[in-house]
Amino acid sequence: MNTSDSKNYSTQPKGAKPTLVKKDSFFTKKRFEFIFREEKKIKEAYYDVIRQEDLLSPGNSACLGCHAELALRTTLRILGPNTILAIPPGCMGGIGVVGFQGGSGAKIPVFFPLLDNTAAMLSGIKRQYQREGRDVNVVAFAGDGGTADAGFQSLSGAAERGENIIYICYDNEAYMNTGVQRSGTTPKWSWTQTTPVGEKGNGKSQKGKDMPMIMAAHNIPYVATANPSFLPDYIEKLKKAMQVKNGMSYIHLYSGCPTGWKFPTEKTIEVGRLAVETNLYPLWECVDGKFRMTHEVKRRTPIQEYTRSMQKYAHLKDEEISQLQYSVDQNYRKLKNLCKIT
Amino acid sequence: MGKIDVLNGNKAAAWGAKLSRVSLLAAYPITPQTPLVEYLATFVSDGEIDADLVEVESEHTALSVLQGGVFAGARTFTGTSSQGLALMYEPYIRTSTMRLPIVMALVTREVISPQTVWGGQQDAITVREAGWIQIWCESNQEVLDTVIQAYKIAENKGVLLPVNVCYDGFSLSHMAERVDIPEQEIVDTFLPKPDITHVKLDPEEPMAVDPLTAGPMLTEYRHKQVTAMKYAREVIEEVRQEWLQLFGRDHGGMVDVYRMEDAESAIVCMGSPAGTSRVAIDEMREHGIKVGMVRIRVLRPFPIEEVTQLLSQVKAIGTIDRNVSFAAGFGTSYLELKTAFGGKTMPPMIDFIGGLGGSDVTMDQIKQAIVITQYVGQGGQYRDVTWFGLDEVNIQELFEQSPQEEKEGIL
Repeated sequence: MNTSDSKNYSTQPKGAKPTLVKKDSFFTKKRFEFIFREEKKIKEAYYDVIRQEDLLSPGNSACLGCHAELALRTTLRILGPNTILAIPPGCMGGIGVVGFQGGSGAKIPVFFPLLDNTAAMLSGIKRQYQREGRDVNVVAFAGDGGTADAGFQSLSGAAERGENIIYICYDNEAYMNTGVQRSGTTPKWSWTQTTPVGEKGNGKSQKGKDMPMIMAAHNIPYVATANPSFLPDYIEKLKKAMQVKNGMSYIHLYSGCPTGWKFPTEKTIEVGRLAVETNLYPLWECVDGKFRMTHEVKRRTPIQEYTRSMQKYAHLKDEEISQLQYSVDQNYRKLKNLCKIT
Repeated sequence: MGKIDVLNGNKAAAWGAKLSRVSLLAAYPITPQTPLVEYLATFVSDGEIDADLVEVESEHTALSVLQGGVFAGARTFTGTSSQGLALMYEPYIRTSTMRLPIVMALVTREVISPQTVWGGQQDAITVREAGWIQIWCESNQEVLDTVIQAYKIAENKGVLLPVNVCYDGFSLSHMAERVDIPEQEIVDTFLPKPDITHVKLDPEEPMAVDPLTAGPMLTEYRHKQVTAMKYAREVIEEVRQEWLQLFGRDHGGMVDVYRMEDAESAIVCMGSPAGTSRVAIDEMREHGIKVGMVRIRVLRPFPIEEVTQLLSQVKAIGTIDRNVSFAAGFGTSYLELKTAFGGKTMPPMIDFIGGLGGSDVTMDQIKQAIVITQYVGQGGQYRDVTWFGLDEVNIQELFEQSPQEEKEGIL
């Protein structure tokens, strides 16, 4: 390649510098201890899971370090074979979970709904099986575009009607399957292909939708946030969601994306952990209107640790980081208060 | 036999769904389909239909819910009009490409803009290339009968295509007529329980529905769909014969024909103008004009053989359209007939556009159309397309222009 060519053809944000090098803050002694402790917990939680059959094709084309693929594989193990799965267009559809050329990408009944009718199609399936007196898990595994943007109307309608489906949104905070374009859940200042960083652009200029809170406002029986970096917590929540028989259960999954957020592929789990430890993505559940934190963070990590871990925030100035810190703390306080008063 | 009642088109359609023993309903109200949703809700609430009615938040969701229902083996029904159909288009086109035998009442209405809520046929016309079978009704009796027939056609293993039962908004949907409601037992013998397995999502027999498919395989799918559409012609004819035997009623197969045996000119139309045309034809025949009517009952698949055979016998064709095509400023049946004849020689044809946005297609207009068509058949020249209400139609003038020896034949 001609190095004298100054034109930047890469998709990396302008002025971005690699922030995760060997001697970064990830490799502190404290972190290793923490990881060791958590690993033990995960192993225990996984003991049951690992004996379940892996229902997802091993031969899919997910990016290295994909958080969502890990989550989906675990999700199907928990849900088991008595499940019908909807994968709307998005990363999980693109990697071949539904299948290719007549071949199936999963060992359970799986299909492509449209981007914007996932909850509606599942309503029809569930209603018919309920009529026949058969109890089947009817589950959506949809991205943020299919959930918060194009798919929102049908999701909101199904929630209001009390459709007994499990809706899981893997939120990688942009349209990743089409190559990193901004979505309704893309956080403020995030670099994406449609919110570039440049002379005038400074990433996305608006805040993202608080999708799990919006779903909680629908008064459905079960809403939770989860994070594949905290697998035991997620597994427990998914099992609770499966118990719900009187309406919709909604799980909002944090879903780290090394390709779109620009962090090393082996850091996915750690980035996901940081999101929780900085209180950026608190783990909570709302059962019949009662909010509860499911993972208490004793001393939150400064948000800078998180923004430094990926290049989509590489352009942030100190002032913006302190604004971000303020909004993270404020959201967290709000959530704690909700837990107190409900 | 069954009982006699006075039903409007929407209630007739609801009765059709009830007698077909549907199990999953979803619909969103839109003028002029709204009463249909209310009738269905009442039937379900009174326990007369053993079905789930999903009160959806849009037409897009209505059809999507039904698609899910079919995946689970349900027999489903919905209805819509105009803008609702437009909103529904995304799942609509996929219903045919996934080969889901859904039956939908399409209460035809004009499309906006200008803002309108009244009848027309433009909505259904715009979706005629979306792969659905479109059956156009002339009376409320036909609406009821066709809904039941539609399931038999749609669920045929060689067809497996969705069916639109089209009936003109207000002209049929809100007009009450005498309707003979068939007995449930006989309908049950005509229409067995649904057995939809080609897209079944069942954990006991896992299947991936609609995985990513590359061009060559997709081409095969498309070819199969077109073949099924062709085969539907035969099935429609079979269903017609069976219906005639069981219920003694015949609404026609691909086309419905009226007084064409000795006709010198033919009126071609779809939907409610056909009823008025029959009366107009009777009257004009009393004046010695030998005119008949070919009603296009099934717009998709198009009755190519039927129309070419019937219409090549006459001297002139006059089409009456409650819709327009933007291809060349003609109505749809005019263009479809041109295509059907293709390179074959066909009699001269002229088009009449009327009944848009709830305007009436009146007796006088149809009579004018008959006279003008007859005039053209006798070698007279007339404009290709006449817009009722816009273009001046002076029959007296035609009469003056006609060769003396043919005047008697005209009026």
